Amino acid sequence: MTKILTNTIRRLRFDHDEMTQKSLSDAVGVSRQTIVAIEKGKYSPSLEVAFKIADVFAIKLEHVFQYQLEDNG
Amino acid sequence: MSYKERSIWVSLLALVYIWFNYFGEITSLHLTQQLTVDAVNDLLFDVVILTIFLEVTLQIIIAIIDNKDANYGEDERDKLITLHGSRNAYGLLSIGVFLAVFYTVFPTLSTYVFPTIDLPNAYKVMHLIIVFALAAEIIKFSTQIFYYRRGF
Repeated sequence: MTKILTNTIRRLRFDHDEMTQKSLSDAVGVSRQTIVAIEKGKYSPSLEVAFKIADVFAIKLEHVFQYQLEDNG
Repeated sequence: MSYKERSIWVSLLALVYIWFNYFGEITSLHLTQQLTVDAVNDLLFDVVILTIFLEVTLQIIIAIIDNKDANYGEDERDKLITLHGSRNAYGLLSIGVFLAVFYTVFPTLSTYVFPTIDLPNAYKVMHLIIVFALAAEIIKFSTQIFYYRRGF
């Protein structure tokens, strides 16, 4: 039973007028490649960047990132 | 491919090209028994000039091609990847420094290591350090490229 960090950034971008990865990266202050890596779950951002992403979407951190059991299906 | 990754590829290829040529020349001079201190100094001078020229020129070219991303500094992921690369390189460089010290402390080793190369001992030690520093740089760049490719 492994827990992993997942996120809903792709969905949130879509819900925010199809915000581009570039726009989000500019707002957060990281490169577009870092946003790509975070979205794919290949990179776990620092708390500061995680809070900045949540701030861009004006929602709580736990609505962007979830620590949950790995979905093996 | 991101600007950072492209920049690392350029540095890696320039490094390999320059030092491959250097050691090729050294080998050629050694085989023709023309390897002297002056020849090595000239080759090292060429390496320095070529390194500056290639790095500056190629980095300017990729910055022009990818001018938007070139203006960004390193973000936290870039810094972490750089740190991992440096950590891997440090181990190998430490071994090289240790061997160079060992070689200096025990000069009799020169009869076993580089026995046919007719250069002062200081130059042999210098090349020992160069080889390990070169390998360390290659490991650093390769580690960084690996993490940029695989994701980090």
